[in-house]
Formats: sequence, structure tokens, C-alpha cells
Amino acid sequence: MTALLEIEDLEVVFDGFRAIDHLSFQLDEGELRFLIGPNGAGKTTLIDVVTGLTRPAGGSVRFEGTELVGRREHEIVRRGVGRTFQTATVFEQLTVQENVDLAATFRMPYRSLLRRARRPAGGVMQALATVELEGVADRPAAVLSHGQRQWLELAMLLVQQPRLLLLDEPVAGMTKQERSRTGELLGQIAKERTVLVVEHDMDFLRRFASTVTVMHEGKILCEGPLAEVQANPMVQEVYLGRSERGTPALVGAVAVPQDPPGSGDAAVTGGAQAAGAR
Amino acid sequence: MSLLLRGPRVAPGRSRRWWLGFGLAMVLLLVVAPVALSAFRLGLLSKYLCFAIVALGIDVAWGYGGMLTLGQGVFFGIGGYAMAMYMKLHQAGAGHLPDFMTWSGVSKLPLIWKPFRYAWVALPAAVLVPVALAVGLGYLIFRQRVRGAYFAILTQALAAAFAIWLVGEQGLTGGTNGLTNFHELLGFNLSDPANQRSLYFVVAGTLLGLFLLARALIQSRYGRLLVAVRDGEDRVRFLGYNPLVVKTLAFAFSAALAGLAGALFVPVVGIISPTLVDVVPSLELLIGVAVGGRGTLYGAIIGAVAVNWAKTGLSEHFASGWLYFQGALFVLVIVYAPGGMVGLWRKGRDAVVGRRTTRPTRTTRTERPEPVSARTVELTSAP
Repeated sequence: MTALLEIEDLEVVFDGFRAIDHLSFQLDEGELRFLIGPNGAGKTTLIDVVTGLTRPAGGSVRFEGTELVGRREHEIVRRGVGRTFQTATVFEQLTVQENVDLAATFRMPYRSLLRRARRPAGGVMQALATVELEGVADRPAAVLSHGQRQWLELAMLLVQQPRLLLLDEPVAGMTKQERSRTGELLGQIAKERTVLVVEHDMDFLRRFASTVTVMHEGKILCEGPLAEVQANPMVQEVYLGRSERGTPALVGAVAVPQDPPGSGDAAVTGGAQAAGAR
Repeated sequence: MSLLLRGPRVAPGRSRRWWLGFGLAMVLLLVVAPVALSAFRLGLLSKYLCFAIVALGIDVAWGYGGMLTLGQGVFFGIGGYAMAMYMKLHQAGAGHLPDFMTWSGVSKLPLIWKPFRYAWVALPAAVLVPVALAVGLGYLIFRQRVRGAYFAILTQALAAAFAIWLVGEQGLTGGTNGLTNFHELLGFNLSDPANQRSLYFVVAGTLLGLFLLARALIQSRYGRLLVAVRDGEDRVRFLGYNPLVVKTLAFAFSAALAGLAGALFVPVVGIISPTLVDVVPSLELLIGVAVGGRGTLYGAIIGAVAVNWAKTGLSEHFASGWLYFQGALFVLVIVYAPGGMVGLWRKGRDAVVGRRTTRPTRTTRTERPEPVSARTVELTSAP
């Protein structure tokens, strides 16, 4: 069986800086994969290339066997690849429900779009219920909190029923409860779809991640179950070597894998311990 | 589940109040104005209403679609010239050349003039040629993702080029003088006050009809999509829509309205000339929309009529003062009242009633801080 997403020998260069360096990567149908790595490792760039935002210098990205490189953003979406952004981007001038409705009707012909929407399109209310935003359906999206915006974006993605979801830091900036709720949502979504999640939050990873891919300097460092990856000396080297300017959350988690899942701050404390231990 | 059964989002009270307002406008335009105004003032109002039709189109493209189009004079001019060419040929009679051609030493009717002998060609052409041009231009411009100030400059240059070309082609277009001196349209004598009055009703009726059409467009799903493209074009791409199509449609709609307005303008005012389609009149149309309140359709109409009314009034008293006043007005509105007259009225009303509107009015984004949506894609594309 061929993989759902197949990236081969991908290369992305920004003004001489090699953001992605001859990377190959596969994602099978039905997988829930987490993509981690220090800042600047090229995680978001990888998503940008898959979704058509960034043009690679070389290599190929195949989705269901079709080449995606060279296609425009909306064509890739129409093929069934959906994404979210690091900072949730919703249309503040429209209501929450209108936002989801806009996403839902992306395959609607223009002669239907030109008609007045008497009621929400199919699946809109269900998607809003999934992310528990029915209560604010008629409120402008501008009033939503940061976490709610992320969920609204998720609802907009879900209503389009993509075959592959690319989520860029879905819990960034969320409170503890919001993160738990997002994790549950993610588990629910991953049952039916293939999902790739870029995430920094170690606590979140420990609770919800099974398979992890680690990126470093535009390459894949290693891949496997979270515990195995954490024990990998190369991974520890990458994170510890960068501890001064890197991400303490990851340092702590990698260096102290037994760190019990607790508050988000636990990981940071772990980072301090790791630095001290060293 | 009860949410599924919920009806249209506009509350019935709100909708009823809207229709009441529309009815009032109808009475004002179709009953009060013809009774209260002298024939001369009614003729002026006809002219303003022609500009209001253009303003309606600009508002859809700019207020809702974020396309700052400074070249609507081109479409207005094409509509106007199409109508004027028909009227000229009809007046000259079969086998004869229009008067200005004889003066310019043209001996044979230019090929491009020939189809305009027929009303059934000229009238549709007044709308369809602008639409075709807007679709072609829109496709080329928006495909290259040209937007913002660059789009504005491009359209303005287009208006300038069009006016220069019109002046240069003396034998074909009547040059600087344009096309004028019309006596009749479709068998009606244009100097007859009764016919001028009928013409007013045609213009006012057209405006009211187009207003309802524009409203239907804005309230459709497409209308929301247009606002979404304005506030986050890049984000819309990742919802699977092609902004190129969305923008080109709105641009073509604005061109159609401008062309139609131009065709109505010629019998109302009796002239079409390069000075009416140049950069300055194109800007004036836009100022009307800004003053009235972009992003609300009735605001655009009120603004266009008010600005042109003020222009006539001021020009009657201080002949050269208008341009300074207009410039100052534009600056003041953009800086202090980006929502225009409608925005000021809403602010005043909210201050008096002490309530906050629960639903956002889809006004322009300059009224709020820059939404995150517009910037995010750039941020995420960084390595």
C-alpha cells in the first residue's frame, strides 16, 4: 500500500538558507503523527510546502499518488488537504456560524453561492457542536477568546472533511483545560482521518502522541514511538546543545522522560532541572 | 438541534425596519422630489443619481471587496460613449456622418461605429463591454496577486490613458469636446420637460432596482466570501476558494453598474467627454462613497448624492473653491471618520442610546485595528 502523503528529497531554500534539506517523509492513511523539533527546524515550512504556500527548490510531494508541488493553494485544499495556522485566523467581521458556513460551501457552485443563505449548510451545526461553540454561533468571531478561535478554525477544517489534516501548533497559548479539551478533540478526529500535528508542548505530546517525527535543521532526525525518541541520544544532543536559546520545555521533557504529566509549567521546571543536572 | 431549525439570521424587526426605510426612500425619490424640485434641480438630481449608481458599484468592489478602484471613469465612459455613438448616428440619419466627423475631415464611418447604429447593439454594449474589460483586466491583475495601492495606481493609470486616447482620436471620438448636441432618444425629444421628467423616473427606478440587486449580492454567501477575501485573502485560499474568481466577479459587477450609469448619464446631461471619464471624476466618485460610508450600500448612495450636491452648491458661489474643499473633505473623512456619514450616525446613535451593536456591521477594516488574519500567513511562511 502506498502512503497517503509521500515526500521525497524535498529541498527549500530561503535566500541561501536551507530550510529543508533533502527531506523524505511518509505518512500512512489513518495515522496520527506528531512533528517536533527545535525552533527553525523547518516544521512549519514543511506544512507550507505541502499546502502550496511555499515553493520548494526541488523534490516532490505526493498526496494519494498525485504531485502537489506546483499546484495552487485552493486546488490542494480541494484535493483534501486542510490546514490550520499557528495563530488562528478567522474572519472577525463574520459570525462564528458564518465562518464555518463559508468553509462548508467551498465546493458549492457560484450560482448557488450567489443565493441568500436561508440556513446553515450541511454539517455546520454539527461541526460547531463538536468544538462546543454552538452557544456563540451567532456572535461575531471577533469576540472569541484565543482558544475558541483555534477551535473555530478546527471546526472550519472539519466541516470540509479533508482526508489529511495539518495542524500547526493547535494548543499554542491555550489554558490547561483548553489543551485537554483539544487533545480529546484530536483523538476523536484522528479516529476517522489522517492527522499531522506540529506541536511544542511536551505535556500535550506525552498525553496524546503515539508516533513522533523529530526534525532538525531541515532534516528528519528520527522517527518512532515517543518514549523511544526521547531516549535517542541524537535527539537529546539536538535539544541540549541548544538549551540556551532553544526551547526549555522540550529540553526538560527529553532529558527527564519520567517527568509526570502535570501542569504546563512542569515541563519548564524540568528544563531548569536538566540544565542544572548538566 | 433547535439551532438547525432557526430561520434567517436577520431578526424580523430589523428586516421590517429596513423595508420601511427603503419605502421611505422610494417615496422621497419617486414622489417628493419630482413634486418639490424645479425642472432644473430635478435634472441635476438625475445626474447625481447616475453617479450614485456608479458609487453603488464602487462600494461593492471597494467597501466590501477591498479593491480600491480609481478608474471607474473608464467603465462609465465606455457606457456613455456607447450610448452617445448610437444617439449621434441616429440623429445623423442613414448614410450620413455625425457632425463632428465632417468637421474633422473624416469621410467614411469608422468600422467601430457601425454596430452602434442599432439600439439593440449599443444599449447592451454599454454594460457588456465594461464587464468584458473588467473580467479581462481583473483576471490579469488578480492572478498576479496585485492588490492594495498597486491595484489603485493601475486603475488610475488606466483612466488617465483612456482619457488621453479619447482626446487624441479626434475623428473617432470627438476629441476634447466629446460627443454632445443630442436632440432625441428612441423617438423622444430630449428638450421636452415632460420627457426629462420621465428620464428622471427611469434613472431613479434603475437606481432603486440596482440597490436591491446589490443588496441581494451582499447578503448572499458570495457577499460573505467577498468580505472574507477583503479581510484575509490568503486565508480564503486555504478554505479552497480561488480569490481571483471572487474578486473578478465583484469588479465586473462594479463595471457593469458604471457602464449602465454612463449610458443613462448621456441623455440626462447631454454630453460625454474625456473630462468626465478622467482621473479626477473617477476620484470624485470614490470620495462620494468614502463620505457616505463605504461598506454600507445606502451610505454610498447618500454620499454620492451629497458630495455632488455640495459640489454644485459651492461651485455656484465660489467657482474655484470646490477642489480645495473636496480634497480637505476626503482627508478629513479618511482620518477622522473612516465609516463616513453612516459611521458617524451609528456612533452618535450608540452614544445616545448607550448600547453596543451585537452584530458587527461589515464596515471597512480601517475602523478596527488590523485583523490578525491578514498578517498571519506572512508570519507562518517565515522559515
